[in-house]
Amino acid sequence: VFPGVRQAQWLTKTKLVEGLPPAVQGILDNPALGLQELEERAKHVVSHARLWDTAEVAPRREQYCPTLFENLIHVCRLMSGKYPSLSKRMLARNFRIAATWERESILLQIRGLSGILMNSMTPIPPVASKEEILATKEHVLETFYPIAPTIDLQEVNVYKELNDTGQCFRDGYPYSHPHTLFFLESANVRTDRFRPEQLRAKMLMFAFGNALAKAKALHGNDPKVLEQPVVVQSIGTDGQLFQFMVFQLNTTDLVSNDGVKNLVWIDSDQNLYERAQCVPEIKKRVVTKPAGISGFQPDTFKKFLALYLHGTV
Amino acid sequence: MVALRVWRLLRPGQRWFSETVPGAPSPPDSPLYPPVLASITAKSKAAKSRRLQRFNERVHAAATVEEKLRLYGKLQRPKYMVYPQTFALNADRWYRSFTRTVLVPGMPPRGAAAKPPVAAAGATLEAGRAPEPGAEAPTAAAASGAAEASGAAEGAVPYVDVGELRSLACDALLQESFYQNKKRPFLYRDQDHTPGPFLTQLVSTLAASLSGRNPLLAASSLDLNPEVNYYWHHGEEVVAHGYRKGRVDPVRFQIDDNPHLQIRVPKQLPEVVPLESDLGDVPVIDHKPSKLPLFKKQYENKVFIGSKVADPCCYGHTQFHLLPDRLKRERFIRDRLEDQIEVVYRSNGIASLFAWTAAQAMYQGFWSEADVTRPFVSQAVVTDGKYFAFFCYQLNTLALTAETIKNNPRKNICWGTDSKPLYDVVEGGNVKGFNDEVLLQLVRFLLNRPKEL
Repeated sequence: VFPGVRQAQWLTKTKLVEGLPPAVQGILDNPALGLQELEERAKHVVSHARLWDTAEVAPRREQYCPTLFENLIHVCRLMSGKYPSLSKRMLARNFRIAATWERESILLQIRGLSGILMNSMTPIPPVASKEEILATKEHVLETFYPIAPTIDLQEVNVYKELNDTGQCFRDGYPYSHPHTLFFLESANVRTDRFRPEQLRAKMLMFAFGNALAKAKALHGNDPKVLEQPVVVQSIGTDGQLFQFMVFQLNTTDLVSNDGVKNLVWIDSDQNLYERAQCVPEIKKRVVTKPAGISGFQPDTFKKFLALYLHGTV
Repeated sequence: MVALRVWRLLRPGQRWFSETVPGAPSPPDSPLYPPVLASITAKSKAAKSRRLQRFNERVHAAATVEEKLRLYGKLQRPKYMVYPQTFALNADRWYRSFTRTVLVPGMPPRGAAAKPPVAAAGATLEAGRAPEPGAEAPTAAAASGAAEASGAAEGAVPYVDVGELRSLACDALLQESFYQNKKRPFLYRDQDHTPGPFLTQLVSTLAASLSGRNPLLAASSLDLNPEVNYYWHHGEEVVAHGYRKGRVDPVRFQIDDNPHLQIRVPKQLPEVVPLESDLGDVPVIDHKPSKLPLFKKQYENKVFIGSKVADPCCYGHTQFHLLPDRLKRERFIRDRLEDQIEVVYRSNGIASLFAWTAAQAMYQGFWSEADVTRPFVSQAVVTDGKYFAFFCYQLNTLALTAETIKNNPRKNICWGTDSKPLYDVVEGGNVKGFNDEVLLQLVRFLLNRPKEL
């Protein structure tokens, strides 16, 4: 009906900031990381996923989207040769999340198979300064009067208020801090995939759910403003377009519309490459589109890597 | 005309003899008659050999490797499907005879490339490293295996932090089996529930943390659930029925393998022993392959290492295989076939590695008529989640067809260990009985690299 992110913002009491936070930008601009050499590898990795991975002519999206993701994570993980503290991360696949909260007397719950989660032993430090957090008090959440904000949400009788990533992992799990969530839209048929706007909304909701569950596990169930905000990142892709998001949970007091709000930085619709041609396109005996990857954007890969390294570098 | 030419060249004063005149040039350059060749289309042995020769020339003359592979696998006929993971009894003997492989128990004597040897162990390592052909090799392999185990335990410590790697491995194991809440495993899909994800986690984290020590790993490519195929001819048989009845045909095999995980690298692993070494005997089996049991089917002849020819990571490093539920140890014990447990691991190692190394060789342009000029080495780990078996394969020859195998003294070599458990049991958030040896062997595998690096 209308862009999903705005609805998600209201539901999670969040203020939107365009672009990536300055902490992540700092990693991007840091020359010591040697991001230039990685460009070549990134290009190979994209070619492998899109062109070379199959014995058939061209791989389908259900195959190349997860392969591209795995390859990118592999390249990022190999950086742990340089930064040993990167090895304190663990990927959890087929990860189930459940979180409940109340929003202006409406009980909301989010549940589901949220894709792939990367956990780390140490939490990400807060990206926004105290002043920025306090400044969100003035921000007014946009309402959608007369449309109820819970439009398009499924109303369900909930008998158990489940509240845990903690139940997804047992107690004593050493990698207890959710770091990044990954969403892969890999359905072959376009209508089965989320559109970019809906994908961003989904990323926001799940990042919020994870952060909320972690905050409740750390600080208890009472709604309050958090001393130590919880930061959860989120990356969504359909194999070509990437959406990057950093979410900071400042408060668990979600019933009222005033007070400190949560913050989210979104960098949307980043293309990793323009086109991947498996077989050269020939029109009237002239090659119009040569085979290979064209229009490769190294910046998108650098942002991926920067989000991966965030928190340890 | 001929007489005219000779007369012109004849110097005055000399007599013309019909024998070769001293000083006269050799007989005319172009032959008098075209060469007498067999027909191409006749139903005769000579015609068949001429057709084969033309085919071989066509493949030799192919411009690109893709063209060569396309021509090599162009003709489709019924072929035996060889499954690396099989329940057939004594399958590893059969597979060794199909692929002309010698099985050497234990790991190959690993040289100083992996880690600089500590002083005392260094001497034994060097002695064990010198390639020894013939009958000394099995004893040398066993002796150097034992020396290497103690040497590596000392040599490994200054370079590899075993404690950290052990904690990584235990974390991966605990996460998959204990900490993460998962639904119940699907029926007969226990391997996908816990050991599969554990293996993926273990290998990816170990490879990442060891990439600082092994620059080859830093340039490697990790494939999840790739496809490896190879097609080859070995031996001859007479066609039994059908319109081609009575003709002599090569016996065709095809391996279609799906390792759980594989690591491909841009540079080749170093050879373990020289190309022409003879470390044992290849078993000779007089029966038809269908007695194994092996079944025939006709479909596309694929040769594939996991990615296409254009990929720069065209050499293989290590494969990881997960045994499915139908081949788990409890089933063999229940059917009173305990000796077949090791056979499963061995046949998987030999068949998968042969297919992978041979496909790598074909990607470099070698095939059965153009035999390899350098050995291709790859490694594999076969596991069922708890028990690990390690294999190292050296491909010395691709010439296995009936024609080319006649004068071929080379044999492929496979070193393999028995399966050993990595841990005893996982109880309440703790891993009990963790076996460092298995982990060290895995680390040694991952650290393997060419000597220049």
